This record gives sequence, C-alpha cells and structure tokens, in this order.
Amino acid sequence: MKVSELVEQAGLKTFHRAGDREIRGVYISDMVSDIIGTQEGNLLLTLQTHKNLIAAANLVDVSAIIFTRGREPAEDVVALAGRADIGLFGTADDTWTLAKRLYEIGLR
Amino acid sequence: MRQADCRHKWAVANKRDGYLVIEGCFHCGGRISFFSEEPFPPREDYREGEHFWSFLGGYQATKFDLQCEHCDHLVPLDDVMALMLCTVCDPQCEVGRRAQQESGGRTWPYVALCADTSHAGGRCTSPEGIQALTEYYNSGLRGAAKKIVVVPCSLRRSPDTCQGIVLADVGLTEMY
Repeated sequence: MKVSELVEQAGLKTFHRAGDREIRGVYISDMVSDIIGTQEGNLLLTLQTHKNLIAAANLVDVSAIIFTRGREPAEDVVALAGRADIGLFGTADDTWTLAKRLYEIGLR
Repeated sequence: MRQADCRHKWAVANKRDGYLVIEGCFHCGGRISFFSEEPFPPREDYREGEHFWSFLGGYQATKFDLQCEHCDHLVPLDDVMALMLCTVCDPQCEVGRRAQQESGGRTWPYVALCADTSHAGGRCTSPEGIQALTEYYNSGLRGAAKKIVVVPCSLRRSPDTCQGIVLADVGLTEMY
C-alpha cells in the first residue's frame, strides 16, 4: 500500500507530504535508539515529535511517520522532514487504536 | 563463504536494552559514557587513576551489533555509544567537509560517537564498525539519490560547539 492511499483511508492529518512511498511494514516506537535498528520502508507510529526522531527516521529511510494522540511537530521538525523527504501525518487516536485501524485497512 | 571474499549483507544482531550512562571528571573536565545492561546502573562517584568520575546523566538506550547474513561475520558495535546527524554547523569541521566532498546534495553525514568524547585515550570507534554501519544504512535506502556517510567522532572539530542532532533518548527516558 502506498502512503497516499493510507492517508486517505485512515483520514490522517497532513503536516508534510513527501514522495509517495510503498509501505513495507509498520513499526511502533518512541525511542530513537530503537528506531535506528529497524528496516527500510516501515511506517513509523510514535508519540515523539522532536528533531532527533526525524534524524533517526531518515537514517533507516522510513516510508512515513504518523504522530498519535494529537501530537503536532514544530516548524523546524517539519523543515527537516522536508529536507529528508519524509511524509509527516497525524491522528487524534492513541497508538493502539491507530494500529488496529491500520490492520483493518490491510497493512501487515 | 570466506569472510574476505564476502560482499557482506548486514543485519542487526544482538539487540540489547539498557542505559547509556554519562560521567564527568571534575579534575580534568573529561567526559566518558558507557552502556549498562544492569537494571539499576551505577551512579556512585569513583576514582580511576587521576580521574574522579561523577554521574552526569543517563537514559534508556538500545544497542545492537551487525552480522553478515552471508558469512556470519559479526561486527561488535560496543564502542558506538550513539549516532549523531551532522548539521554542517562549522565550515572548519572535518565531518562537514567529508559530507560536502561527496557527490550530490543528498548526502547525510552521521557521526558515530564513541565513549571517550575527549579522545584522551587516543581511541575512537573502530574502522570496521564505521564501514559496516555505512554499508548497512546505505543498503536500506530506496534510491541512489540519497547517501548515508558514517564517520568517527574523532573527526569532529569540537564536541563543545557541535550542533549535531544526537540520536539518543535524552530527556525522554532518563534514569529515575
């Protein structure tokens, strides 16, 4: 599934729209030292909105990031994501609720 | 397959959770860090030769090694405390220079931070670890336009003025 399809189906808020990537999996983490050990193409679900997270997500080339529980990134975070061509999206749902919804949509 | 002939395909191995602990010496001003897998990492002051190490901070961290899926060669990354994205803040800094020497504008320099920030012991992250990290992160990139360059922190001009973005969970998961 492409990121654009997911955003539409899940009704996500867009903070930054980047190149339309294929989602190869889903990874949930709030620790950057954990994220840098994941694989390329994952959709990242997190509460974290700071720049360190973007630096980690860029390293492992995530397909996109979804901030849960209504968290919103600051301007400098969006700017760094723009340089890294990483899509940033958000939802008011908590991470568990979003994870269930992503499964229902068809992500595995 | 012989390791020398292998075109390594790196994968994360020996993933482990613990705490990254930072200590400082009030005598020489030096700073060191280490990874502890103990449930309650040490926080006591202690003397080591001319140094008097005191606890400065610590936070949860995840560490891992890299292992080749073809030949099983393992590269321990015990000497890498964290990675840091270089923001090319200092034109005199060798890290930024290295990045700018690379072709194209989409090179991302990451610095592998070793335990001894001041490099007083003359050691830094191992060249083999640096190479393996570079190969691992570039192997996962979607296209040739983007490139990751991992360099040792000994190339940094100054740890005190460096404005790089450290990939560590400082503040988020500090020791209690």
